[in-house]
Amino acid sequence: MTLYRNLTIRQKQIVWAWAFLTLPVIFYGVIRFYPTGSAVLISFQDWNLLGERTWIGADNYIQLWNDPVFWKVFKNTFVYLLLGTPVSLVLSFTIAYHLDKLRFLHSFVRMLYFLPFMTSAVAMAWVWRWFYQGVPIGLFNNILAKFGIAQIEFLNSTSYALPAVLAPAVWAGLGFQVIIFMAGIRSIPTSYYEAARIDGVGWWTVLTQITLPLLRPTIVFIVVFSSIGFLRIFDHVFNMTTNNPGGPLNATKPLVLMIYDTAFNSFNMGYATAQTVVLFTILLIVSLIQLRLLRSA
Amino acid sequence: MANLVLNNLVKAYGKTEILHGINLDVDDGEFVVFVGPSGCGKSTTLRLIAGLEEITSGAIEIGGREVNNLEPKERDIAMVFQNYAIYPHMSVKKNIAFGLRSSKASKAEKEKRIQEVAGILDMVDLLERKPDQLSGGQRQRVAIGRAMVRDPAVFLFDEPLSNLDAKLRTQMRLEIKKLHQRVGNTIIFVTHDQVEAMTMADRIVIMKDGYIQQVGTPDDVYNRPANTFVATFIGAPSMNMIDGEIVEGGVSVGSEAVLSVPIEGHEKGMVTVGIRPDDLKPDIGTPVLKGTVTVCEPLGPETLLYVETGQGEVIAKADGRTAPQVGDSVQLGVDLSTVHLFDHKTGVALTS
Repeated sequence: MTLYRNLTIRQKQIVWAWAFLTLPVIFYGVIRFYPTGSAVLISFQDWNLLGERTWIGADNYIQLWNDPVFWKVFKNTFVYLLLGTPVSLVLSFTIAYHLDKLRFLHSFVRMLYFLPFMTSAVAMAWVWRWFYQGVPIGLFNNILAKFGIAQIEFLNSTSYALPAVLAPAVWAGLGFQVIIFMAGIRSIPTSYYEAARIDGVGWWTVLTQITLPLLRPTIVFIVVFSSIGFLRIFDHVFNMTTNNPGGPLNATKPLVLMIYDTAFNSFNMGYATAQTVVLFTILLIVSLIQLRLLRSA
Repeated sequence: MANLVLNNLVKAYGKTEILHGINLDVDDGEFVVFVGPSGCGKSTTLRLIAGLEEITSGAIEIGGREVNNLEPKERDIAMVFQNYAIYPHMSVKKNIAFGLRSSKASKAEKEKRIQEVAGILDMVDLLERKPDQLSGGQRQRVAIGRAMVRDPAVFLFDEPLSNLDAKLRTQMRLEIKKLHQRVGNTIIFVTHDQVEAMTMADRIVIMKDGYIQQVGTPDDVYNRPANTFVATFIGAPSMNMIDGEIVEGGVSVGSEAVLSVPIEGHEKGMVTVGIRPDDLKPDIGTPVLKGTVTVCEPLGPETLLYVETGQGEVIAKADGRTAPQVGDSVQLGVDLSTVHLFDHKTGVALTS
């Protein structure tokens, strides 16, 4: 006890800080960092989950490099990212921008947009799957039929399946982004807009010269968040293509689904962890780039 | 440049009326300050003039042209906001140029105008900086610059000095006044600070609860306040208000004295006597009140005395070097020409 009492105030604060940090540090060590490290290790081994682990060097990575499915999946993942992020950004901003001006039933409409975010992805995916069915079950094909347009096999076409799977994923994330955008828009002082009104500039100038530049931190945050989300997309794809996960012909398969397949259907742990390490690296690079953008803002 | 007329201006939000018929004529080139406690309607009046809010009834004329239904940009006004409303992502130059965006002038003309304004405001070197590299006073000047660059008929200032520290405020006060002398545009300036109002204004408009209490020069409102509100609002510390009674030959204040001030034309009865602390001094002039000093506030050249009298606590001013001490009994006197009389019920000044 005397040992503690003789510490300076600053040292005592450090002791207490570490006392409180112990639990999260242990948690992170055991649950996050240790598995991350061992995943990197396993990626250099051959292991079927039960048998012996054997060192095979970079064979898993070489196999990955030469695997056409991996490149297809790699491309899919980036299509999800490069299509999903801008689309959801533009949509959520447009909604937030107009919702902010809406007074009548404001909270109710906002709630409607937020609802999908709280809904289980599985339930949502199955409802959307239903929408995509052919006549007379599917909503979209029924509408198409009404206008005499040919049926679209949304989930069975190699070109339409990916956007069809992406749509509900975008929709699900929209509510959250709308809320964040609204908070950003509301935090812009009204005097900026009043000054612009007195200066007599048009709404387009106000939007591009005032609103959007001042929303930059909000935009960067949403881009980082939704990018990570789309790079890790899994549950929507898995549930909408359960008969043939990632199908048709791997047209919708994202990296996470490939990892899941390799690990828990083929039990090829080494190969799966090699894919995980690649995904980890991609996520790290994308996040770092975006973080740098955030700093310069 | 132009004059400004407010004609029976009324503003209501739903059923709550907050401006009850404001009438005011502002001359071309005049510097008018609206002053009053918060919620008195001074900022609302300014926003109505700017066109940021719609008027409920009445009329606003700028330069002889009714502007009731005109957009702010068509009113030939410019406004400086309390938080300056300078865009943080634009350089000083771009901020100032923003005021010219909708103008049809050529690029060279605009550039010339910006340089001119920057010259007047002494910030040519600052043009390329971003707002976060500027001090409070410099930001203030950018805001003024953005307003000036449009050369409006009327400048509107909405409490522009309240975000500055005391020293800078005094300095900017002076700068704005000099600027006005130089450019000569009509200025409407809103503040809650009576010192700002007194020091800058050609005429002061004192407002309370949506009514104009008095319009007049600083000399008018200080020396001839229209009512007890104006009397206590202008001047620091506030004017002492003492109950008195109009009797034969003058006004009696308690049992201590009868002040022989002119009372012609006023009925006998209760009256409110107003004496500024500056005019109430120990052992000088006609004796009015007697009491004990409870607190002394030395200010250097003079000392404020809080004196407990039979008529309640009053504030008096004594010479700093010879001031009485706490606990001393003092006889407070006044120059009778500085005594103000107000109606006891309505608070309206009694003039004779």
